[in-house]
Amino acid sequence: MLEACVLATLMCGFFGIIFKQNLVMKIISMDIMSTGVIAYYVLIASRGGLYTPIASTKEVAYADPVPQAVILMLVCVMKLAKNNPTLETSVIEKNNTP
Amino acid sequence: MTNTTIAWIAASFFIGFVIYLLPKLDRWLALAMTLFSAGYGISIFLLDLSLNVQLLDSFGVTLMVDRLSAWFILTNALVTTAVILYCWQTGKKSFFYMQVVILHGSVNAAFICADFISLYVALEVISVAAFLLIAYTRTDRTIWVGLRYLFVSNTVMLFYLVGALLVYKANNSFAYQGLLNSPTEAIALIFLGLLAKGGVFISGLWLPLTHSESATPVSAMLSGVVVKTGVFPMLRCAMLLPEIEPTVRIFGVGSALLGVACAIFQQDSKRTLAFSTVSQLGFVLAAPAAGGFYAFTHGLAKSSLFLQAGNLPSRDFTELRNKGIGLKFWLPLAIASLSICGFPLVAGFGAKVWMGKNLLSWQKMALNVATVGTVITFAKFIFLSPQTGSEVDKETKIQSGFWVAMVILLGGLIVGNAIYYEAYALENLIKPLVTIAIGWSIYFLLLRKFIVKLPRAIEQFEHLIGGMSLVLILIFWMVKMRASVFNYF
Repeated sequence: MLEACVLATLMCGFFGIIFKQNLVMKIISMDIMSTGVIAYYVLIASRGGLYTPIASTKEVAYADPVPQAVILMLVCVMKLAKNNPTLETSVIEKNNTP
Repeated sequence: MTNTTIAWIAASFFIGFVIYLLPKLDRWLALAMTLFSAGYGISIFLLDLSLNVQLLDSFGVTLMVDRLSAWFILTNALVTTAVILYCWQTGKKSFFYMQVVILHGSVNAAFICADFISLYVALEVISVAAFLLIAYTRTDRTIWVGLRYLFVSNTVMLFYLVGALLVYKANNSFAYQGLLNSPTEAIALIFLGLLAKGGVFISGLWLPLTHSESATPVSAMLSGVVVKTGVFPMLRCAMLLPEIEPTVRIFGVGSALLGVACAIFQQDSKRTLAFSTVSQLGFVLAAPAAGGFYAFTHGLAKSSLFLQAGNLPSRDFTELRNKGIGLKFWLPLAIASLSICGFPLVAGFGAKVWMGKNLLSWQKMALNVATVGTVITFAKFIFLSPQTGSEVDKETKIQSGFWVAMVILLGGLIVGNAIYYEAYALENLIKPLVTIAIGWSIYFLLLRKFIVKLPRAIEQFEHLIGGMSLVLILIFWMVKMRASVFNYF
């Protein structure tokens, strides 16, 4: 069920990228798609359990730390990648095609 | 050697930021970094090294260095060195050199990592650095071209990430080897990312506009090394996992034919070169075992061609033919073009022979056709009439950096002959000569007279993303079909 929701988010984002004409809307759609991807990573991480993997004395079902670590890094990288163009869309849209 | 590898990868990012702090030393620091890479690449060959490194614990970053990566690292080092020397006197700001070095480092990182997430990080850093380089001149057009590049690569990398996650789900690890046990969707999604990033087949049609509209040194770097970061992981997967290999080979042949079919009809020199890149990357993929050397020769030849095309008086072939070009221009142009055509005496010949030995029987015919197409494409460059002492010679001033870059790139192509000297056997010599004869006669008899304009609709931004979803379905279907065929036997 959750997986279906996540995939639906992904597809929503992708269709937005295809169908929206406006560049800003396209970029927002891409953001939605990346939200879907991040949610998917979190979902896979929680297969083993829901507890955050921090050292403790109790035996609990830990969430898989690897996808979580990965996703933290991905969020950083994605933000870096996107900050630059969004600032300049107004300039670009004036002359869309070279 | 492990420590050297880590130091080498870290050095390019470190030097990149130091350049920004010490702008006076920018060119020297950048040059030192590329020489370090060249030394590293050569030392892998000399020591015949094959290194598998696992950093941190079992979930850490995995690296894999061997001869295949060494070819790509060496290409990267030579091309970046040539580009830096080319820009030496052009008064580029230290920001430019910083991006060049960071791009250089991240491309190197992509050539040695052995798991999907390290690769993702490398590819994403490449996108950012390449975008900043494309948009360096800050004209509206370059910014749009850069944004288009960034948008396309970001979108496919999202698909790639989902694929990487599915690999992890199946194997509890991101290593390349895990691709085998993963569901078909994972392979399809990851390959879509790599094909698009590498500029291969339909998903690579973002490439011609990006590479032809960027500034001259930037397009030399993009075409020479940056696109190879998408191709390299596919080669690596094909060599690690025999089950993946047929898919890679099919896409290679498809891309070789598609690229060359478009390149023949272009009337613009830089667009011709860009489409030829699409086709040559297909050749690299068509024979994974010979891909390293082929990529090396292509990288050197293509980046030198881009540097030359940027210095020609015009980009239009008809105008160039009427005006004529100086002899000193024509000579390097001819050497690089002949190398891509596979003419003996230049390293491209050895690469073509080596590739021919690794082809499957069904590929041979298709790639012969593609090679004839390549010859026709580059006949446009070779038959620009050279004129000595003409006005053309005098009116174009070239900086000395250009000639230094040419010496490095073309010298590499000529020295590269020695690497595969076994190719010089009589039976190997006949085929390329016949191919070139056929190609040139077709060029003179048919194509020189007609000008065909291909529609550019498919390169439109909207269609690029749509085309990618179609390619995704195609790969999915191919991988699925292959699985069922295996089961059948």
